[in-house]
Amino acid sequence: MRFVERTIWTALLAMVLSLCAGSSARAQTNPPTPPPGNTDRDAAKAEPRIVTDQVGRRVEVPQPLRRVVSLAPSVTETIYALGAQDLLVGDTDACNYPPAAQKLPKIGGPFTPNLEVIVSLKPDLVVAAANSGNRKETVDALDLLHVPTYSTNAKTVEDVLTSIIELADVLGVGDNGRALADSMRTRLADLHNKLENVTPTRAMFVVWQEPLISIGQDTYIADAMRRAGAESVVMTKQDWPRLSWEEALRLQPEYLVFASAHPDEVTATLNGMRNLPGWRDLKAVTENKIVIISDAVNLPAPRIVDAIEELAKRLHPEVFTDATHGASGGAPAAGAAKQSTEPAQ
Amino acid sequence: MSTAGNTSSAADAVTRGGEAPVRLNVEQASYAYHTSGNSAPLFTLAATSFRARQREIVTILGPNASGKSTLLKLIAGSLEPLSGRVELEGFEISRLDARTRAQRIAMVHQESALLFPTRAGEYALQGRHPYGRLMRFETPEDIQITENALAQVGATHLRDRWMHEISGGEKQRVILARALAQQPILLLLDEPTLHLDIGAQVELLERLRQLASENRYTVVVVTHELSLAAEFADQVVLMHNGRCLRVGTPAEVYRQDLLEQVFDAPLDVEIGPEGRPRVHIRGARSGQYLRR
Amino acid sequence: MKPLTFTRVISICAALLAVLFVVVVAALKVGAVPISISDLALNLARTIFGRRIEMPSEYRMIVFDIRFPRIVLGMLVGGALSVAGTSFQALLRNPLADPYVLGVSSGGAVGAILSLIFLPRIPLVTPLGAFLGAIATISAVYFLGRRHGQLDSTTLLLAGIISASFLSALISFLVTTLATRDLRGIVFWLMGDLSTPVPDSLHWALLAALLLGIGSIYTTAADLNVITAGEREATHLGVDVTRVKLVVYVSASLLTGIAVSVSGAIGYVGLLVPHAMRMLFGSDYRILIPASAIGGAIAVVAADTLARTVMAPTELPVGAVTAMLGAPFFIYLLRRRLS
Repeated sequence: MRFVERTIWTALLAMVLSLCAGSSARAQTNPPTPPPGNTDRDAAKAEPRIVTDQVGRRVEVPQPLRRVVSLAPSVTETIYALGAQDLLVGDTDACNYPPAAQKLPKIGGPFTPNLEVIVSLKPDLVVAAANSGNRKETVDALDLLHVPTYSTNAKTVEDVLTSIIELADVLGVGDNGRALADSMRTRLADLHNKLENVTPTRAMFVVWQEPLISIGQDTYIADAMRRAGAESVVMTKQDWPRLSWEEALRLQPEYLVFASAHPDEVTATLNGMRNLPGWRDLKAVTENKIVIISDAVNLPAPRIVDAIEELAKRLHPEVFTDATHGASGGAPAAGAAKQSTEPAQ
Repeated sequence: MSTAGNTSSAADAVTRGGEAPVRLNVEQASYAYHTSGNSAPLFTLAATSFRARQREIVTILGPNASGKSTLLKLIAGSLEPLSGRVELEGFEISRLDARTRAQRIAMVHQESALLFPTRAGEYALQGRHPYGRLMRFETPEDIQITENALAQVGATHLRDRWMHEISGGEKQRVILARALAQQPILLLLDEPTLHLDIGAQVELLERLRQLASENRYTVVVVTHELSLAAEFADQVVLMHNGRCLRVGTPAEVYRQDLLEQVFDAPLDVEIGPEGRPRVHIRGARSGQYLRR
Repeated sequence: MKPLTFTRVISICAALLAVLFVVVVAALKVGAVPISISDLALNLARTIFGRRIEMPSEYRMIVFDIRFPRIVLGMLVGGALSVAGTSFQALLRNPLADPYVLGVSSGGAVGAILSLIFLPRIPLVTPLGAFLGAIATISAVYFLGRRHGQLDSTTLLLAGIISASFLSALISFLVTTLATRDLRGIVFWLMGDLSTPVPDSLHWALLAALLLGIGSIYTTAADLNVITAGEREATHLGVDVTRVKLVVYVSASLLTGIAVSVSGAIGYVGLLVPHAMRMLFGSDYRILIPASAIGGAIAVVAADTLARTVMAPTELPVGAVTAMLGAPFFIYLLRRRLS
């Protein structure tokens, strides 16, 4: 009898656990309901278009393209900038720019997307970002499920421009893409001209304060800094080098650069740390040569140009004689594209 | 002081009319432990001989490091003799396969710490292991044999108790029951009285004598307890520094000069009323026996 | 005296399988996308009767292409880890042993990291690299863990702990210095994660390996009972201790290596499921091994279901859930032992 009792208890426990799981699933705030079912009998209306994505994978993009899921904030931002946001049917928890993106159905984090939710949204195409937030395992998993997945990939600022053009092409808004890239290129060229005779500032980009983590020379952010007239002083090929204080003091950068969506918080934290050993020995701290720019610099997306310009202005104000934010040159774009990176309305 | 004449062969023993045949034959068996190939052997058991029959209790007696355990391991078949023979009913023990050996020879160990809680009955049932086949589950016959074994050691009431909850003496009985469940013909015990109080010691040895008689076992006990060996052994094998000094009945072996030499202690030997020797410690207050 | 009989083993397994069935059905039902029982039943019926084409494609995908393979993977991994844990507890004479104590998971992690660094574009490179790393560790620990030519529990345990420490240090070194973007996935692997689907063919291979491994260990089940009561004594009861230890070591290590290759190091399952089964059914290995296998399957499927629903749509790694639930249960077990 003891044995029978025990089995009953175990079974009850199992049922209780599964009920808890079931009710928590129902309690979530934004359950994506599957749209009315279409079965496998609905064949695609036209032949899919075969493209090669930015990591070299062959992707079959269904035509016509109607439903796109974004797996990374940079992708979401780019799609809005291209005016193609009507295609978006889902994005990640981390996609908060532009604000409209926050209202889309969420599929989880860029690192931990929920395959079930993605599939329930019945996307024609899923767009991932190869070295900016997504795991290769996610893309492989989507392949196994036969969900077409396209990966962007940008290692330098120039890559971002190419990436935007290619993604736009795949999404069917090729003209917008070219226009957007052109305007970004123009602004960068303009910046380049202005900064031609300026010595690059020796700066250290701080990813994290405790422990002190900076960026390597091959990163995306280092490239962005170069275009803003700064030079990342940490000479290494590692992407996120952890620095010892000896090394930091040896380097003595002129400026410290932080990127954050909440600059006040960073300032407050720094004020608390100014007198700590190490920090107080940095000239940049004692002379208060600290720049906090928008966290857009972290994403390979159109707003990076804004961030670069912002950094350039803070570091080299002397070359920016006019007060308006540099939009000289470049023909006005056709269609819905704008010269700035604000989302199309 | 070397061994008395035990060089007569097995055939000799059988021809002595009326006596039971030799069951255990240890003939010039020797052993040496080596740490590695070419180094000198660590410990040597010099050629030793004795014989035992059914219903006999043999004691291998000696102080620590005298070679008693090595000799027992040779008899158990754990070690192969360097020279000589160790035979059970004519078969070389170390050549038997493990399963057959376990059906003939049962070793009673000291209690060892059990890894997981076990009931005494289950523990004793493990004695039937040498008789099972692959994917074995115990048969009703196995259970009956185990229950008989428990009854023989007076441990039936312990059957459903946990091993870690019973006393040392009770555990010893269950361990003995497990050995009995193997239905052996040779029962080996290595210092079984070490952790027992005197009452339990006597009880164990009396039980062994009774079992040897009832079940026709040959019992070999390794011990250093002089008094117990004198009282219960039919045959004593006296060991000292790896050599067998004497084999015989307690009365034959317990000689004062021999015992004092082996045990390095002041001892007096007198013969009791039934012909069994009794050993006394001579007054040692003077300190002359303190080992420097 | 009530010894174990074949009938009792079968009936316990049947009861556990019934519980497993309930858990699996519940796991199929719940998830970030709710599916009602009637829909589930209808779709299952459609599958069984060969009318899959009539199913709405998204249900088919979610239930059969995403959830079901994941549940199957969870069962296989849970079964493998639990049986490995039970076996190691006997082999190492230590109730606190888990499948990772001999460094198999750390070796697998090193293998996975190295394969991600050198061959990132090849599909399934992580499981393969992890498996090779596990095999290398198993062999190394075997040779280090011998004494007088056979496996000795204490020596083996020490060899395993040293290997595990060394490999963990190596992992920290690799992760810190290499720190390329491809390695981000390794964090998930280290915590234990079932969210990465594997191809169907691999499922069959895993099942075969599982049955083989559990089967070989089961042949030594009666011997293990005797060995846990004392190794020396076991020799005198006719058990070939050397052979049994070798079979158990190789099989349990392979089971661990396989589990770790596909799901990373899911913790606490291999440690606690054996103890839970012991509490319920006793310490006889002839019931403990099959019970642990099914119990482990139940545990991992339940934990994984929680992992993917508790904070939906974000998924927790299943290793995090087993740790959060496992630690309190472990404390409870410790207190029971002390009382």
